[in-house]
Amino acid sequence: MDGIVSRRSDTPPIFKAVISATYKENLAYRSQMAISIFTQPIYFLVQYFIWQSVFKISDTVSGFTLDQMLLYFAISSLSGFLNWDSAGTELQDLIQTGKFITFQIRPVSHIYYSFFQKVGNRILAFWVEMVPVIFFYILFGIDLIPAKPFWTVISFSISFVLSFLVSYTVGTIAFWLVKTDGVRRSILLFTQIFSGLFLPLNLFPKGFQKILFYLPFQFITYVPTRVYIGSYELAGITMPIPQIVFLQAIMVVIMFLVNRFIWSMGIKRFTGVGS
Amino acid sequence: MMQVISQNTREKMKGLRYSGFGVYIQGIKSSLASRMAYRGDFIMSMFIMMIVELGGPVITLIIYNNGASFPGWGVYEVLLLQGIFLLSRGISFPFFMGIVWNTISRVQEGTFDLLLIKPRSILLMSIASAFDSEDLGKLIGGILVFGIAMKNLPAQPLHNWITFFIFFIFSILLMFAFGLFMAGLGIVWIGNYRIYDIFMTVMEFGMYPKSIFTKSFQTITTYIIPISLLASYPASALLGKPNTNVLLALASAIVFFLAGLWFYFRMVANYTSSGG
Amino acid sequence: MIHVSELKKTFTTYERGGTFREALISLFVRKKKTVNAVKGISFDIEEGELVGFLGPNGAGKSTTIKILTGIMHPTSGEVDIMGYTPWKNRRKYVENIGAVFGQKSQLLWDIPPLDAFNLNQSIYRIPSNEFKKTVSEMVEMLALKDLVKKPTRQLSLGERMKCEFIMAMLHKPRVVFLDEPTIGLDVIAKEKIREFILEQNKKGTTFILTTHDLEDVEHLAKRVIVINHGEIVYDDSMDKLRNYFGEKKTIHLTTRKKIMLPKHEGIAVRSQLSDYDIEVVIDLSQIKLNEFIKKVNEESVISDMSIEGLELEYIIKDLYQV
Repeated sequence: MDGIVSRRSDTPPIFKAVISATYKENLAYRSQMAISIFTQPIYFLVQYFIWQSVFKISDTVSGFTLDQMLLYFAISSLSGFLNWDSAGTELQDLIQTGKFITFQIRPVSHIYYSFFQKVGNRILAFWVEMVPVIFFYILFGIDLIPAKPFWTVISFSISFVLSFLVSYTVGTIAFWLVKTDGVRRSILLFTQIFSGLFLPLNLFPKGFQKILFYLPFQFITYVPTRVYIGSYELAGITMPIPQIVFLQAIMVVIMFLVNRFIWSMGIKRFTGVGS
Repeated sequence: MMQVISQNTREKMKGLRYSGFGVYIQGIKSSLASRMAYRGDFIMSMFIMMIVELGGPVITLIIYNNGASFPGWGVYEVLLLQGIFLLSRGISFPFFMGIVWNTISRVQEGTFDLLLIKPRSILLMSIASAFDSEDLGKLIGGILVFGIAMKNLPAQPLHNWITFFIFFIFSILLMFAFGLFMAGLGIVWIGNYRIYDIFMTVMEFGMYPKSIFTKSFQTITTYIIPISLLASYPASALLGKPNTNVLLALASAIVFFLAGLWFYFRMVANYTSSGG
Repeated sequence: MIHVSELKKTFTTYERGGTFREALISLFVRKKKTVNAVKGISFDIEEGELVGFLGPNGAGKSTTIKILTGIMHPTSGEVDIMGYTPWKNRRKYVENIGAVFGQKSQLLWDIPPLDAFNLNQSIYRIPSNEFKKTVSEMVEMLALKDLVKKPTRQLSLGERMKCEFIMAMLHKPRVVFLDEPTIGLDVIAKEKIREFILEQNKKGTTFILTTHDLEDVEHLAKRVIVINHGEIVYDDSMDKLRNYFGEKKTIHLTTRKKIMLPKHEGIAVRSQLSDYDIEVVIDLSQIKLNEFIKKVNEESVISDMSIEGLELEYIIKDLYQV
């Protein structure tokens, strides 16, 4: 950064070191991760039976055919694996146990560290959870070819960052509250519901969809999944794919600024500025 | 201390306070007391538990709202079924399902031994020290869904209620068996909280009418792991819908329960003989 | 190297009721309460010193350490450490310091300490050859051998603490803060870690040690700062601390007859096991040793006796009660 970098070029950059350390750390839990190989197909089978049965009576539900509905559940589950995040929980744990100070005494910014922890963790999850589940979907006969591969990659990458920012921001609450499990779990649950992880958002009542449109959550699962399927619609609003991905990018910037603002207030509280 | 207790006091200690049930009640009391230290968090957690449980019914409502349906089932009939499912979970999770996380975390931390040195059954100790007050939210959710469904359905004759009640006892028994299997697994599979996930996803099959599954799946969910008994059978009984092969289903539930007991104590024996 | 002057820290807390009603009221009306944790302390520490920083729980000790490590902002006062003000420009400042918290680990539970070391190598941008040299030196000094390649969770508490030291000192910090570094360790591990600290201190590293373990202080510190109620109550060398309350001796006596202590100033009973067995502290400025022994022997006939200097424990206890 300031001329020092070239002299010390044999030192691996922090992000590489964090990714590799986290990857190794999580290797110990790969058998736990692998349980998804069992649970996700079962969960998907239940969904399959539900919608199979429902579509016996109607041909489309809220504009989705049976195939599209199943594709939605398949892709949203993959988005769920990709975006799964423990940054918030870990931050809260650090603050509540006081271990956060071991980061304060090191020359590194925690959000940077935490983000690459997620990267390391998800690289492992990719092999252990996602690849086998993708394999299951293919065996099941789901057509997994994305409609617009380029935009799909962009949209999934943005959602990866956004879900991290949401989780990390929620974790910041621990600067103010002693016990935060309840708040965290509430927000996590609402994030999951409102992001469309359990059910496509266009199935919710129309009035509710209008609210969902203006919340950041749809950009975590619903948007990337719809980009994958190739058409976007919510609350009667249809949009070309590039446009919704653009909105998604704006949302990341907003969320980042919100996070930095709350963070700076939290750090002030932690370091006791003005008290 | 124990030696000096006279025969007389020993007799007195046979009272309710010292029975297995008394130990269990004490466990509930102390769990509630410690949870009350953070009331706000407690209430919020309970609320979350309730909301999580409403996921299934909400999907049902949305399906029916979109003009679709499960063949042969009205919306409130499905809600009744799911209400029963949630009631069964709402009773088992706070009152005895805590045995699972309690066992997993204690084996992991090494405090399982503290339960083993108590002069009581390890099963009783594991359950009594694991009352999960937050999960009362699940019970509230169950009562809510069940109540709403009942209000919108015609009143059922008494004999339907009686058969429903019998089936419901089996539903709880089955939950208990699930708990035993998970706790047993928790002893050997150290620190793996995802054991829950395995069973929770399997239970998903129980939240919908048995008839939506293919024949082969129905066989599995009725006779091998009798998940249909969790809600599908009791709901059909209460609604006066025909249930097939009732006795066989009940018998397999009992077998499943006994297998759970056997498995659990087998794993405990494993643990004690290997010294943890 | 370290200059602290008139450092103050005041906390404002809000009283929160225990009952539900009180908690509800506190949402609207909050009772303010100010606590003066640190009341304007000043001291200087030179490069290469090894200072014991002592004080009872709640004395303002950890608040001071938090301010010195840049974790907390003071209410007022000045701190200059190696030209930095710790709470300003934190990132730059902390590159030059290290810290070991006995109860807050920097290691990663599931992977070997060596991997965690690599992480700090990147964070502090330590050149690889220098890093390797430092690690192998320290591993040898602490007799860790291949243990640094075993997952942290499989190590004993002592082994883990040794690794914490390596983790904290990889980047050769000039100042190191130690907070209860030997808590819960066995005698041998304690000794090894003390040796390590002294060795590093000889090489010029400045240490500030907070602990409740007075043996640590006796073995390590040449200078002691005692803080109580937010103020410094003692700041001088270890040797002078021993005689801070005058020259005193602890005498353990066993007698044939019932003990009758002479009525004289400067004799304090510390404990009495029976009528024939007693432990007293005598102040030599008020009563001479031979005089005391003579008097007791005349009255009660001494059968056994031991005389020791006053233990540090009692001096500190007295300081804490000032």
